[in-house]
This record gives sequence, structure tokens and C-alpha cells, in this order.
Amino acid sequence: MTTYDPKSIWRQYLAAIKQQPDMKFDMRTAIAGSMTIEPLEPYLGAHLLSKKFKPHITVALFNQLRQICYDHHAVLGSGDFNAIALLWRLEDLFPDMLARCLDSPAAVGDLRREVKGLADAVAHLRKRFKGTLIVSTPPYPTMPGFEVLELGQASSGMMAFNIISQFWTQEIAQLERVRLFDLHGLVLNAGMKPAHDVRKWQLYRQPYTEPFCQDIGRMLGRMVAAETISPKKCVVLDLDNTLWGGIIGEDGLEGIQLGDDFPGKAYRDFQRHLLYLKSKGVLLAVASKNNPDDAYEVFDKHDAMVLSRKDIAVFEIHWDSKVESIKRAAKRLNIGLDSLVFVDDNPKEIGEVTERLPDVSCVIVPEELAYLPGLLAETEFFDFAEVTDEDRQRTEMMAADNIRQETQETMSEEEFRKSLNLKIDVFAAQKQHLARLTQLINKSNQFNLTTVRRTQDEVEALSIAKDALVLGMDIKDKYGDYGLVGVSILRKEDKACIIDTLLMSCRVLGRGAEDTFIAKLAEAAKTLDCDEMRGKYIPTNKNAMVKDLYKRFKFIYDSQTDEWIVNLSNAPQTPAHIDVELRLSDKNAGSISASMV
Amino acid sequence: MSDPLIQLFSEVLQVDAAELSEDSSPDNLMQWDSLAAMSLVVAIEEKFRVQLSTKEIMKMSTIGLARKTLQTKKVMI
Repeated sequence: MTTYDPKSIWRQYLAAIKQQPDMKFDMRTAIAGSMTIEPLEPYLGAHLLSKKFKPHITVALFNQLRQICYDHHAVLGSGDFNAIALLWRLEDLFPDMLARCLDSPAAVGDLRREVKGLADAVAHLRKRFKGTLIVSTPPYPTMPGFEVLELGQASSGMMAFNIISQFWTQEIAQLERVRLFDLHGLVLNAGMKPAHDVRKWQLYRQPYTEPFCQDIGRMLGRMVAAETISPKKCVVLDLDNTLWGGIIGEDGLEGIQLGDDFPGKAYRDFQRHLLYLKSKGVLLAVASKNNPDDAYEVFDKHDAMVLSRKDIAVFEIHWDSKVESIKRAAKRLNIGLDSLVFVDDNPKEIGEVTERLPDVSCVIVPEELAYLPGLLAETEFFDFAEVTDEDRQRTEMMAADNIRQETQETMSEEEFRKSLNLKIDVFAAQKQHLARLTQLINKSNQFNLTTVRRTQDEVEALSIAKDALVLGMDIKDKYGDYGLVGVSILRKEDKACIIDTLLMSCRVLGRGAEDTFIAKLAEAAKTLDCDEMRGKYIPTNKNAMVKDLYKRFKFIYDSQTDEWIVNLSNAPQTPAHIDVELRLSDKNAGSISASMV
Repeated sequence: MSDPLIQLFSEVLQVDAAELSEDSSPDNLMQWDSLAAMSLVVAIEEKFRVQLSTKEIMKMSTIGLARKTLQTKKVMI
């Protein structure tokens, strides 16, 4: 069978896990709703399976939302959950008050107070539950008086809904790390009518059609998965018939299609979406077979271009193959091929890249150009759990990188290093660093000694533990700020300091950053009252670059434990040209404020 | 060849087909609860490409009655 049948996939999986009572699940998810939500389970489950998780799904009894918020173990059972998702609707929880909103403005205030009560319950759960917490927006009510056809006259129902849903969104936004699941948006996307099945609502208190249950399950799966799966980092774009219509080398600046009328509008809207992706930290690169001057002319002179040259991190414009261009772009950006998405209109180019660079995800420009603007939004390549400041500034940082590289070419290595005025700050992680640290822990592949992935809560727990240290490294030089680019987790075992995690962004290597980091780890280990540091190299198919790292820093290999060991009395020293700071004292301050919450 | 309706009930309810008969109903089958009823409706509509009204759904209180209802809708089973 070639058709995707999530329900039978899920049924088979459930049957299979029954045979393995000691199965270890890596994605324990609970879902609960103000309505019957059992039909979502197979779709959510099948989606998580497709992302290579071993999911376990608990469906809470109908309408137990508040009980879950105040005592989730009592409702869901003991054991840890990676994620809890709560879906709710106004008409389920507050039917009478909602109905009164249609003719009484005062009722809107009453409803708001009730909704505030629900938000408080969610806040209560957030404090007690450490995993991913997802709550829905309330969808537009399906209730007499709220019919969509009444909307033409800006009915009181619509106004009440707008006030309440905006209020809810603001309340949830104030809570730390509660993800908002846009159930209302999802209904809009499917359409009120196609999303709802009034028969099932009347009979079983389950309001949705089967296809819409699939929409919800899949979208929840995407949200849950986005917590641990790294999004793609870069879009490599063809130019002719991808960023604009026509061929610049033949049609000229006046002749290409780009503007406010179709088909030029489709290309322009696509560029807008790319700019939006860039704002979330996705790098844009160009791989085009063209004369560079022709192509640059469009970027520099065409009025309708949304993207400008500074938005593009790497240009590969020449007549070499796209395969070569993509490989070079990945190398210059220091990212793996599996972090790239390649967009082209030519099936031959797509075919060649698919065949020769199977790690690259390829997307072809659709025959129907009206679909082009939404092309990448339809994929799951850019599902971000959280966008950090480092993400937003990535292209600017890459630009500073290119200046650094050019400078490097005119000086000796030693002179170059000195000229950078490198400033390195190694510090014990505080609450505000956790999002970025977790992101690095889950996406760094190359300079990563152990490749242990962790959730934000696990990192937080370690950061306040007595016998562990979570260290971040911040780097600046005279060209700019790299931000937080290194992470290490140290654990004390007797007199040994175990380097549980050691990783760095590859962009900062080769300037003495790794030497400095290891020297500072040794100092930090001394504060834990240790005599030696022990570290492991766990090989993956991506981290060969750090295979000999410990050897380089004079660690001695112990074949019995498969560990590299260095005595702290002859630990590596910080290189001379680097201005470095180590701040550990904040750790105690951090743990006090955390325990006072 | 096994009966397609029995097969459907067996799959959805996770009950061996041999334990099912035309008289099987929520009263004598523990697995046939209201959630299962909902899954049965979805499965029947998908497998036999029919749309059931709430009246028809209410009538299907045994496998035999489900079969009869489907036959009135020209499903050959």
C-alpha cells in the first residue's frame, strides 16, 4: 500500500508495543480537551512516529482541563510527560455566559473573568509541570447567534469573541514557555463548515470531522516535535524562474516578471516569505547559473525586489553545477548539508541534487505559480519552538564573518588572532540563557563531543543542581558579537569532574575559543573541588572533527572506561591574546531566586 | 472470506471476529462504549462510503441492525 494511512499505522504500533512491556518511550504526550478528543490520537501518534519518535499518548477524560491544571498526576497518572496539550472551546466551558454576550456587554466582562481563571489554572500547571505545555486558542464559537453569516454586520458575537480571544492570547503570552496552539487559525484554514461535524457533536460531544481531526493531530505533532527537532538552517535559492519570472540573461532587467501583477506578484510574495524566514534566523543563499553582474543588477536595481544583497548570506553565481554551489555554500556557512533546503524550478537540477546530495531537502517551484508564495510555509522545515536573538541576527553575524575571513587572508594566523581582540565570557547559565543553550544542545552536530540532547527543563534542573555546572560561552571580537556559542555541562562524581556535554558553534573555531573554553572548564572544575576532568568522545557520523580534541589538550586515554582524563594540576591554559572572563558566582544567586518561586 | 462488517467491528473494537455475532451490542460487548461507537461510525462511513444520519446511527444498536441500516442505503453486505 502506498497511501498514507495514519490510523492503521497507529493501530499497528499500539499492537507492537503491547508485545514489548519494557519499551522505552521518548515522547510521552498527554492530550486533554473541553470536548471529546480521542480521534486526534492516531493522527498525533502517526505524525510523531514519522518523526522517528517512540511516542506514548495519554488521552485525558473529556472536560478535565482544570483538574489537570491543578493536579495533573491525579488525572493523567503518575510518570513523566514530555508534553501536555490542552484544547478548549468557549462554548464547552462557558456556554451560558457566552450566549449572554450576544445581547449584554456586561456579560463580556464576566466571561473575561472566567477565562482569566482558566489562564490562572494554566499558570499553576506551568509551575508544576516541567515539560512542553501547549494550550489552544479558543476557536470561533459554533453556537446559535454566532453563525458566520451574521458576521457581515460586525455582530456582538464577533466583537465578544475578539475581545476574549485577544485577552486569552495576552494572558498566555505572559506565562513563560507556554506554547499557544492556534486552534482558531486551524479552523479558519479548514473552513468552519468542512471542519465541523454536527452529528458527532450532538451524539458524542466531538465537534470535528475526521479530516479536521487529522489536521489538529498533525499540527500538534509538529508542535511537540519542534521542541526537539532542529529546523533547517538555510534556503538555497535558484534565481531565474524562482525568485523572479523569466531569465535575466535573456529578458533583461525590464523583461523579467516581478511586481504587483501576476505572475510577478507570486514571485514577489515568495520573496516576502523568504524575508520572513530570514527574520526567524534562516539563512538565505543563492545558487544560480548566470553572469554574476546580470544577477546582481536585479538585486541592486529592480524596484520590485523584496530581497536585497545584504539579505543573502552566500552568493554562488557562476556556471558550475548546483551540486558544487550547494556544497560550497554549506562549507562557507559551516552547516551540514542536512540543514539545507534547495529551491529550483528545473526538475533536472532538483533531480541531480537529490541524487548526489541526498541529505539536502529539495523543493521544486510548483507548476501552478499561485502556490509559490506558500511553498515553504506548507513544509515542516522551519518549525521553530522558540526564536532567539541570535537567530534574528544570524545573517548580520555571517556578514561580519565574511569580513573576518577576508582579513585573515592578508595576515599570518598569529597576527590575525591577535588583531581580532577576542573577548570571551564563560559563565554559569542563568534562566535567561536557557532557551539558547537548549537550542545549541539540540542542534549542534559537528563540534559536539557527546551529542547528548536535552530539553530546556533538564538543562534548567542541571543549572541549579549542587553537583553540576551548566556553562555558557559568549564571544565578541572587533567585528561583532557572536552571542552565546558554546555550552558545557560538568558533573561532579567524587573527585572527578565529568565533562558531560561540550559543544561549540563551528563559526567560532580556530581562534583560540576551544583552548579558552577548555582552560575555563578546568578552572570551573576546581571550584567543584575536583582533582581531575574526565571526558568522553562519542562518535556520530557528524562529529569526527572533535575526535582528537582531548588528545590535543593532553588528556590521557583510559581504554577501560573509554574516557579521556586530565589532572587539573596540568590542565590547559588560556591563550595569551584572549581577553577572558569566568563568572561562576552568579550560580548561587540563580539557584536562590529559582527556589523562591 | 470473512464478512466485511464483522471484520470492521473486530478491527475497531479490538475483539476477535469469532466472538462477534449479529446480536453483538453495547450491552453484551464491554469494548463497545460510546467512544468506540464514534470510531465505528467513522470507520463505517469511510469503508462503505456512506453518510449516516443521527437517526440511522441511533438505530445501529447491534451488528445485525447496523447491517440492515447499511442495506437500506444500498451497501451490499
